[in-house]
Amino acid sequence: MARSVIDPVSRIEGHLRVEMEVSGGKVTDAWVTGGLFRGMELILQNREPADAAMIAQRICGVCPISHAHAACFAGEGAYGITLENGARLVRNILEGSQFLHSHILWFYNLTGLDYVDPTNALSANVADTYDLANAAGTGNSDFAAVKKHLESFIKNGQLSIFSGNWFSRDTFNLPPELDLIATAHYLEALQYQAKASQISGLLGGKMPHIMTSIPGGTTYVPTVEKIDDALMRAIEIRDWVANTLIPDTLAIGPYYTEALGFGKGPGRYAAWGVFNSPSQKPNERYLPAGVIDGKFKLHDVDESLITEYTGHSYYKTESNLNPRHGLTDPEFPEGGRDLEGKYTWCKAPRYDGKPYEAGPLSRMLVAYMRGVPEIVKLIDSTTKTLGVGIHDLESVLGRIVARNLECLYIANLEVEWLTELGKAAADPSTKYFTEPAHETGEGAGMWEAPRGALYHFERIKNNEIQDYQIIIPTTWNISPRDADGVKGPMEQALIGCPVDDVEKPINALRVVHSFDPCVACAVHVNEPATGKHFEVVTNPWGVK
Amino acid sequence: MVMPEVREAGLASYLASKGVSRRTFLKFCGGVAAAIGLSSTMGPKVAEALEIGSATGKLIPVVWIEAGSCSGCTESLAQAVEPDVATLVLDYLSLNYSETLSAAAGHSLEKAKEETIEAGGYILIYEGAVMTGWDGNALMVADEKGTDALIHAASNALAVISAGSCAVDGGWCAAHPNPAGAMGVQKFLKQNGIATPVINLPSCPVNPEHIVEVVMNFVLTGQLPKLNSNNEPELSFGQLIHENCPRRGHFENGEFVYEFGSDEERKGYCLYAMGCKGPQTYSNCPVVRWNGKASWCVEAGAPCIGCASCNPRSSRNNWVNNNAPFLQRFHDMHVGSTNFQPTTLAIAVTGIAGVAIAAHGFGMKFAGRTKGGAPIETESDWSKKQPKAAEAPEVVEDVQEGGDE
Repeated sequence: MARSVIDPVSRIEGHLRVEMEVSGGKVTDAWVTGGLFRGMELILQNREPADAAMIAQRICGVCPISHAHAACFAGEGAYGITLENGARLVRNILEGSQFLHSHILWFYNLTGLDYVDPTNALSANVADTYDLANAAGTGNSDFAAVKKHLESFIKNGQLSIFSGNWFSRDTFNLPPELDLIATAHYLEALQYQAKASQISGLLGGKMPHIMTSIPGGTTYVPTVEKIDDALMRAIEIRDWVANTLIPDTLAIGPYYTEALGFGKGPGRYAAWGVFNSPSQKPNERYLPAGVIDGKFKLHDVDESLITEYTGHSYYKTESNLNPRHGLTDPEFPEGGRDLEGKYTWCKAPRYDGKPYEAGPLSRMLVAYMRGVPEIVKLIDSTTKTLGVGIHDLESVLGRIVARNLECLYIANLEVEWLTELGKAAADPSTKYFTEPAHETGEGAGMWEAPRGALYHFERIKNNEIQDYQIIIPTTWNISPRDADGVKGPMEQALIGCPVDDVEKPINALRVVHSFDPCVACAVHVNEPATGKHFEVVTNPWGVK
Repeated sequence: MVMPEVREAGLASYLASKGVSRRTFLKFCGGVAAAIGLSSTMGPKVAEALEIGSATGKLIPVVWIEAGSCSGCTESLAQAVEPDVATLVLDYLSLNYSETLSAAAGHSLEKAKEETIEAGGYILIYEGAVMTGWDGNALMVADEKGTDALIHAASNALAVISAGSCAVDGGWCAAHPNPAGAMGVQKFLKQNGIATPVINLPSCPVNPEHIVEVVMNFVLTGQLPKLNSNNEPELSFGQLIHENCPRRGHFENGEFVYEFGSDEERKGYCLYAMGCKGPQTYSNCPVVRWNGKASWCVEAGAPCIGCASCNPRSSRNNWVNNNAPFLQRFHDMHVGSTNFQPTTLAIAVTGIAGVAIAAHGFGMKFAGRTKGGAPIETESDWSKKQPKAAEAPEVVEDVQEGGDE
């Protein structure tokens, strides 16, 4: 038996540590630790709902728009108002551009390096690379120039972001030509995620941290010129996702079919729904609300069934409360982290007393079971192409496929919404803002971030916040054990994950990244219980 | 001028792979030169320095640490367009440690950081607030307190760039009641007797152009840019947002937005009546703009919330404490070192047309269009609860464990 720790987990947002018990080459137990406490809920006390929307989005620089919108919906619930159609469209577009940004960045630039080895691309044959790209139906690049660039980069000897990498021919399966294609697209992806954020900038002022969404609607009356600028970018992104990201997914997937065999979480899925249709009803959203229980049965969401347990988290009071009556009283334990007791800043949210997974897989499964036609078509055709069933999606590879299909679905919608807004903006009677009906009340914003179900709740009196609670998607996923000792979704997903090398548990890293955790957290592999020391890993060229 | 083998270096071929011609590259280098205050005729020199660096393994190593952060500043850097983030971290610099971008994880990544620190000669970019709560346990990375990691990494660095408002003075993390004891890097290092120079780049998130400016300046000249009394680059933070605001003309004419979603907003009138903090916030936002110059806050109809205002000496004077409620017209308008009391402002606004207030090199005129808009508060309910820090910015603050209450 050995301990394996990844701390910090890189290529995520935040500080996360993962500690695992490894026996017989597989993970037998796992503890996931969120390493940072900032206290957003406490900072929002006594402020105004509009300020809360501005401040709360700063909880996360990757999905600020989702937080701004969940805060806005909570404020609008308290104000007793419904959005005007113009504001609904602007919010969908802002949210959509952020999803596109986040999904593109995640696939190529964050989790991508768990599967793609750019150093292996050095031995690629350039002519074969073009043939392979054409056969895979994916985008061409100047592969010769990218290869040459890689060569001179490595000759220079400074590995920059590749310092201390875990690349190995034993665990990275792609042929050099596919590694070269994916490396070229890694660089392209950086440009396309920026392009997606430019849409957020055009309608939101800047990204990260948009400026225009406040309770009541949007402060901006979009001009036709800005909408055109955004539409041009949305079309480019849609075409790139359809012609590069999706074919790459289908080309890389078959080399990692083992990733279908591990990483299943609790097998329960929660989605609060995102992207309002004109009815603005959660079950009719473009990605609708719903929960799938342990028997794979779909239910409507019931907010009163949500609780947060704090017994294993760094909080004074052990409680298990609905967030409408939630409590945030942080306290780091005197004895430090204790895996038997308190070991994380993260609370343990449960739905109907059970852990639920949040994220694109949950959203896509809920949309599939609700019969959203485009989603049914996408999932059916993809599972057919890959020769797998719907339940195979409950895995590491399944999460990747679900997220990338969702990216394509949203890329198409983004163009539709911008076209619709272009027409609406030409009509001077289109409205974008609604004044509060009253200034005392309470409301919950149940929405989705790219990483999954997001919940903001606020209670206001005379426009001043009396109570604010947030449950972010990653809190669902990296939740610690609950009062019954039941592990959180990521902890469950790690169990059974193959680990050949406790010092470089690459498959565990793949599991963690498949959730796209957003905690400013780090996954650490602890000192091996065997007393074995970590091998000192340096890059062959030395760090300069 | 440039040796042939250097011309074959990574950067040139990389740019060629992206369809960037040498001519365009030189033009870009001219832009970089201008951005850091050199004559644009220095463009070829800039090109040479960049190319030689990328050909000889002499790129400046960078350690990028995320502390009490939302990763938004790393994200913001990823939105840089000229140069884009790939060029920046692969060809201009060697980014040896970044929790968000590094391929390595866990102890391998920590090792890369450690080797870089031992070798010295690197720049530390620090994102997020220093979290001092619970004796530094509010942030743990690799089983090390975030505060210890900062002391270690900063001690041997050539310079520390505090990227974003949280790193500068605690930012929103330090907003009342400052639950996790957040503070800025400059003050923290001073308290711990570390003399490494600190460059402050406030705004939430950091503007990638500001990072590029400082870093390129250092790469090319080996010098830090000229700094003001807040240790911000003078070039970027020397002017009020108001001074360069494209809606300034409407301000002069007394044409204001009084309601979101209104015809006035459609016409792009001035947002001062909606609480815009542009007249008291120093930054060149209207010039550098955001997201590849696609837009910026005021252009998108959003009143400035003053996220670039900072006070590196006091985390109590972070931008949230000083500027919220954001959409209230400011009760106490600072222009440079002059404070306009609400009464002064009220007189000006309530119709003495043509009252000109000349301060800090700019004049403004209210033309009497004064109906509607947010009320001018004598003092907000929120402010009444706050310590009167704005009046004593030099106050030395003791950050207590777990908060400031």
